[in-house]
Amino acid sequence: MKREHQQICGAAAAGGYGSSSGSKGESSSTNKGKLWGEDRDSGDMDELLGVLGYKVRSSDMADVAKKLEQLEMVMGTAQEGGISHLASDTVHYNPSDLSSWVQSMLTEFNSPATSNLDPVFPNSDSNSAKPRQQQIVGSNQSQVYNDDSEYDLRAIPGVAAYPQPKRIKTSGNDSSSSPTESSARPVVLVDLQEAGVQLVHTLMACAEAVQQENLKLADALVKHIGLLAASQAGAMRKVATCFAEALARRIYGVYPQDSLHPSYTDVLQMHFYETCPYLKFAHFTANQAILEAFATAKKVHVIDFGLKQGMQWPALMQALALRPDGPPAFRLTGIGPPQPDNTDALQQVGWKLAQLAETIGVEFEFRGFIANSLADIEPDMLGIRPPEVETLAVNSIFELHRLFAQPGVIEKVLCSIKTMKPKILTIVEEEANHNSPVFVDRFNEALHYYSSFFDSLEGSGVATPSQDLVMSELYLGRQICNVVACEGVERVERHETLAQWRTRMETSGFSPVHLGSNAYKQASMLLALFAGVDGYRVEENDGCLMLGWHTRPLIATSAWQLATAE
Amino acid sequence: MVQNHHRGCHHQDHQEIVRENKEKRPKFFINDHVDILIEILKRLDCRSLCVAASVCRLWCTIARNDSLWENLCFRHVSPPPSSLRSVVLALGGYKRLYMGCVRPVQSRLGRVRRASWARDEVQLSLSLFCVDYYERLGGGSSSNGRLVGESSPSSLMFLCKPVNV
Repeated sequence: MKREHQQICGAAAAGGYGSSSGSKGESSSTNKGKLWGEDRDSGDMDELLGVLGYKVRSSDMADVAKKLEQLEMVMGTAQEGGISHLASDTVHYNPSDLSSWVQSMLTEFNSPATSNLDPVFPNSDSNSAKPRQQQIVGSNQSQVYNDDSEYDLRAIPGVAAYPQPKRIKTSGNDSSSSPTESSARPVVLVDLQEAGVQLVHTLMACAEAVQQENLKLADALVKHIGLLAASQAGAMRKVATCFAEALARRIYGVYPQDSLHPSYTDVLQMHFYETCPYLKFAHFTANQAILEAFATAKKVHVIDFGLKQGMQWPALMQALALRPDGPPAFRLTGIGPPQPDNTDALQQVGWKLAQLAETIGVEFEFRGFIANSLADIEPDMLGIRPPEVETLAVNSIFELHRLFAQPGVIEKVLCSIKTMKPKILTIVEEEANHNSPVFVDRFNEALHYYSSFFDSLEGSGVATPSQDLVMSELYLGRQICNVVACEGVERVERHETLAQWRTRMETSGFSPVHLGSNAYKQASMLLALFAGVDGYRVEENDGCLMLGWHTRPLIATSAWQLATAE
Repeated sequence: MVQNHHRGCHHQDHQEIVRENKEKRPKFFINDHVDILIEILKRLDCRSLCVAASVCRLWCTIARNDSLWENLCFRHVSPPPSSLRSVVLALGGYKRLYMGCVRPVQSRLGRVRRASWARDEVQLSLSLFCVDYYERLGGGSSSNGRLVGESSPSSLMFLCKPVNV
């Protein structure tokens, strides 16, 4: 058995001290006591506790923790006045021998009602130097204990919570028959080095439990996740916390809001825009494709499915202004959601863009459309002019996946796009499959995806946690909540992979347009500017560009044209 | 003797030149020849130009002249289209472009730069510059009870952060 640092977790009094390495890798398993109980005269004392004045053998640590927990339980549930005798009448012998002292406390409690206790339960409160562990373990069916199903962590697969599951089962505690009567409160030991792995396993187990509608177990697991997450640092902790919160929302049926003011989500997205390159990448690559499609056109029209703050368009307008044969007449149609307070956010964005256009000398026209869903937009509303007169580009950044929430909508929208006859359609989407009907698959996929995402935020070179970083994490956290906690129409973050999009677009009558090397170059340069340059990767995938963190692609830009076009 | 005579006709002794200048012409003050000064300052790099700006008021005025910074921006690139100037000036001028975008871009990309990227660097800088201008437009949009009431443009903040080398 390898040497492990052991941290006792879940025991209220244990508070997180670890045993010294002198423990020679003893496992927590209490039935180890059986093997060497009486022989150990001079077991190693735990150093850390020794500093505090307590003498506890490292080998006894697990047991002591368990007893402390039991004691706490008991004290918590004791009747009024039931524990006062501890202060006045009881004689405390040698409290520094923690193990036996706790034992004696426990017997103080249990002696009044020992009728159904195992008779071998030691009733003395003398200094028993070596508590008989095996007996205690085997028989604590005291009525003092509540239903411990929430602590039945055996559900956690693998060796996540129980390093040696086999031994636990044969220890004789068993109520392997029904988990609801767990005979002993199992002590969970968290190996610091494996805590990350345990965290992931616990998350997955919780998702599994949720899928099986075992909400009680899921609830317990969620709490356990919270505990484990606290022992982590950085990105892993944030991801785990987000997912734990999302799971908790799902379990309790508290679906998040959509009541957040859209301008708040815009603010979040702005911070996200500034902290990391994903949105910039999306904008620059899409702009490059649009620019190339607009090569020599004199009049151009862009329809933006999600205008938000319009951050994509200044760069395009500047590039158009500097075209060798002068800028075209540029028309922009922006689509956005309705604002609760009836302010016309779209118009304000349009006004800002108009100011910019005037500054740089581009003829500009703007129109805003407020729509709850893209399906509500009919092509004839948009005032589209025939292709000979005006070249059209349709742009969708992280918008199309929302349409999967309702059946048939995506087909309708793609059909509308086809009737608009755009020269080019640019789509940027998250590269992940978060739309699987099976909850666990979705969950696992999301866990890996957002872990990479958070990792990249972490690695973006921001030394101190800045407001931007926090906002970006909130932005992602909301997505996570949506993927995990929501269902049906409310679950709008239904991401699909590039491969899935390809199939969908091709069957709908579009053919791919390859993003050229200019786009690739721009994207690479853009990424090189970000502090975390070593992590970001631009990949070219059969004409589409993907931006990822290390080996995991996170977003993908693709461009499409009507299949019949030449 | 002959040599002296030679020198007298074609080359004057250095000391004699000085003496003559002192006698006949006033000393050469660079500040009197602003066009030469500009030619010289045009060829300086950013740091030297900034240092030059603290020499005296005239130099400061010249160094602030946007056309000098234009040269800086496009030093390694073939001459840009003429329409560029009006755009850049409208967006805030070359000095701003250089200090805000071109310089950080060039220094960040210094490690990975390839020769062919010079033009693209400038183009990227221009795009970022434009975005920054747009953000600074702010205008009436900040009055909408936005939860985070800041309207300070920060789309270029990522360029200001120290690079983790």
